[in-house]
Amino acid sequence: MRKIHADVVVIGGGSTGAGVVRDLAMRGYSAVLVDRADLAQGTSGRFHGLLHSGGRYVVSDPVSATECAQENAIVTAIHADAVERTGGLFVCPPGDDPAFGDTFLDDAERAKVPCQEIAVAEALRREPRLNRRISRAIEVEDGAVDGWTLVWGAARSAMQHGATILPYHHVDAIEVSNGQVVGARCTALKPGERVDIDCGFAINAAGPWAGRIAELAGCHGVEVVSGRGVMVAMAHRLVNTVVNRLAYPADGDILVPVHTVCVIGTTDTLADDPDRLPITPAEVRQLLDSGETLVPGLRQARALHAWSGARPLVKDSRVAGDDTRHMSREMSVIDHAQRDGLSGFVTVVGGKLTTYRLMAKKAVDVMCAQLGHNRPCLTDQEAVPGARQGHNYQVTQRLAEREHDRLQDQIVCECELASRGQLTRLWADNPLATLDDARRQLRLGMGPCQGGFCAARAAGIACQTKVADAERATAMLRLFLKNRWIGSWPVLHGEQLRQMALDAWILQGAHDIEHVAPTGEVPGELRPCDGSEDVFDADGKAEEVAK
Amino acid sequence: MSTVVVIGAGLAGLASASRLAEAGIDVTLVTKGLGGLQLSQGTIDILGYSPQRVTNPLAAIAPGGPLVPDSTAATGLIHPYAMIGAERVKAGVEYLAELLGESMLVGDPTRNFQLPTALGGVRPTALAAPSMAAGDVKAGDKWVIAGLRRLKDFHARLVAGNLARTTLPDGGSLQVRAVSLDLPAVKGEVDSNAVIYARACDDQGFRVRLAGELKPLLKRGEKVGLPAMLGLRDPLAWHDLSQKLGTQVFEIPLGPPSVPGLRLNDALLAHLRRLGVRLVNGNRAIGYRAEGDAVTGIEVATAGAPRVYRCDAVVYAPGGLESGAIAMDADGELSEALFGLPLARPDGELLHGRFWGAEQPVFRVGVAVDSSMRVLGPDSAPVWANLRAAGGLLGGANRIAEKSGEGIALGSAVAAADAIIEELS
Repeated sequence: MRKIHADVVVIGGGSTGAGVVRDLAMRGYSAVLVDRADLAQGTSGRFHGLLHSGGRYVVSDPVSATECAQENAIVTAIHADAVERTGGLFVCPPGDDPAFGDTFLDDAERAKVPCQEIAVAEALRREPRLNRRISRAIEVEDGAVDGWTLVWGAARSAMQHGATILPYHHVDAIEVSNGQVVGARCTALKPGERVDIDCGFAINAAGPWAGRIAELAGCHGVEVVSGRGVMVAMAHRLVNTVVNRLAYPADGDILVPVHTVCVIGTTDTLADDPDRLPITPAEVRQLLDSGETLVPGLRQARALHAWSGARPLVKDSRVAGDDTRHMSREMSVIDHAQRDGLSGFVTVVGGKLTTYRLMAKKAVDVMCAQLGHNRPCLTDQEAVPGARQGHNYQVTQRLAEREHDRLQDQIVCECELASRGQLTRLWADNPLATLDDARRQLRLGMGPCQGGFCAARAAGIACQTKVADAERATAMLRLFLKNRWIGSWPVLHGEQLRQMALDAWILQGAHDIEHVAPTGEVPGELRPCDGSEDVFDADGKAEEVAK
Repeated sequence: MSTVVVIGAGLAGLASASRLAEAGIDVTLVTKGLGGLQLSQGTIDILGYSPQRVTNPLAAIAPGGPLVPDSTAATGLIHPYAMIGAERVKAGVEYLAELLGESMLVGDPTRNFQLPTALGGVRPTALAAPSMAAGDVKAGDKWVIAGLRRLKDFHARLVAGNLARTTLPDGGSLQVRAVSLDLPAVKGEVDSNAVIYARACDDQGFRVRLAGELKPLLKRGEKVGLPAMLGLRDPLAWHDLSQKLGTQVFEIPLGPPSVPGLRLNDALLAHLRRLGVRLVNGNRAIGYRAEGDAVTGIEVATAGAPRVYRCDAVVYAPGGLESGAIAMDADGELSEALFGLPLARPDGELLHGRFWGAEQPVFRVGVAVDSSMRVLGPDSAPVWANLRAAGGLLGGANRIAEKSGEGIALGSAVAAADAIIEELS
């Protein structure tokens, strides 16, 4: 058993939790962040990649819109490595009411969301694949953001300021004594070990799981509803600007160019369980059909991968309990001292990735008020490690990096240009990282071949560099392929089905992976969102070198 | 003189073109690219799993064997082996073995080799390159697997570690360890694929350096497993290395680009050229001409303008899903690209979400044929009297799981070619 002492425990390693722990550390608190899985494995890694300009909410949710506009500028500056400044367009396709554009422009001005109507011809010049029959186009400051890079950036910044980041640590209990939170009892999953954290305060940033965490502290009735959103990544950037439908938010009304792909989003339906978010081929078809309105021919384009995420929405008495689309995206900070008489506990939930920093600030402000401290928030003052303000991410960046080191290093993943050096550096930092962890940080296996070529190489490199023995390397490979398939099969058609036939030909046909000696489970790996198997905790297993 | 157009340059297309040309028929081989051989492991599978590991593949596909009735009952599709028959599979495999000779293929269609894979599996296959034969697993064998630091598709510790913990098909185990070399194929290059290493291995000087690095690492009595890269043009490069090391060596196939597959491909193409087969490379067949119940010409997208190649018969061997010959659109509609042939599909859903669960039924989609490989319509009558299919286009098999691709390709190629030869003579 390990014992840790800290001023504050933050529960949840998504964008909110990472923002909170960074904020705490920058205000001089000693803080520990725990998550039962990898950072940004939940909602923060399962969205469409939009850094909101606020435009999407000017009509439906003006408070959120204003917050988005302000935070967009800050996040673009402090997370330059995670944000591509793509710009955005709201376009009115045929059949939609062009008058909505006037409402949009009026509300945008009121909400202080920068925007400007441009000529249709200019919009078509910028984005030639757009539906040529659009009647209006409004330019906004949307961007594209990599959730994993953003969350790791905030976490690394927090570490620089003295915080401790503990992914794969499950919270089993929140210790309460005399109406005051005094600690969190956790289990480290890689390898299995009990970890007790003594603390004076806990901040619950568990997103869709926040209700369950509040229950652990004895605070009942924190109702967080999961709005399940399905997204599909299309191979290639069919657009280079974020393209939104100029209408009230609906399914399949946005295309976001992120890295080498573009993402069409999203659906919004109530999910009973944020760990169970199955995707059906019918939903994928529905998204592609809607996307046709914005970019004709989308259904013939190559679809790569689908995923679903759970939006944490605080239950809103104003709309029907299953209408997640129209629940507010506003953030909520719950002071449990006031609500439940429990000191040292705050829940922060709702909101969006774009406003993660502001949510974190509000949560820590509430904490400071409860403690009677006066320490101002500093998180907008300083860029995170790896980000240089004014030097935002560009899609060509990887190519430039590989051009620079191609004579010294191997390319492991040709689709996403991930190098062997990147992989071995990641394992030097974190020897317990699985191939899925590596995927989230390096984009390994996220391109057109979906791991058909690189996954076996990465497993081989893990084994060759003694990060894993053959059994663990093979188990990681099997798990990686299984997880990739969850998002592959619902979109399989056209060229991507052909690709998957080739992948199967190589991995099963040539390598006979099905008949490689059996392996145990990968320690600590949990499988949210796959809708097919139970989430499980596995025992840690000693690593051995092959005979 | 009779004219046949063969479409597709995988094993089925190459073998049927060869057999037809040898019978004195004028053959045009139309191919949009390199065929599938260079994507494959470069061995000749007949049947590896049924789903249990198969030791005698010819017996397993014969009437009363485990494969055909089982798979037909489970999927509602007729397995290609049920139409081809074990005799013609045997004839096809023997035809290829004779054509290429023992310097390229060894083995016995009634006994599977059990050969190591690049992930450390043990894979059944009927015929293999002589450079692979020493890797046929035997309990108690001592192996050292040698990898190259600059070849990213083969990691010796993974191969050795998995083989060491494998219970062999007849019980027992291997003693396996791994070594790694840092020998560049090309000076200053850190990222070289197997083809680049194979070209280097064609050179005696490189083999001397390879043996020089490797020999001090060997222990007495060990066989040496290497990635399949021991020569592309020189068929005895592996043998020379073996002599230099003073022990048996064996090659382990990699993913694409596959050196053993390329060797077979190159040898077959050279044979076709010697036979005078007209090779129309890099050109896609885009249409056809027909009169009555017969296809009379194949339209090919040649440079400048499409060109029609007249024909008395067609062997259509374009592959399946992996080549794009069979496609599924966003609505789940299946189609065959060139002739719009009817496709047989398994009952029920074609795809499901469990990667390690039951097979994905979509891999069994393909055309149905009669015993002379004529493509059948829904009424079980031939769609065209002179259109025959071979290889991956045939539905009803899961080649990837069964390890049956080359047996089906060769059996159907021989069946189609022989039927055409008989008809045209």
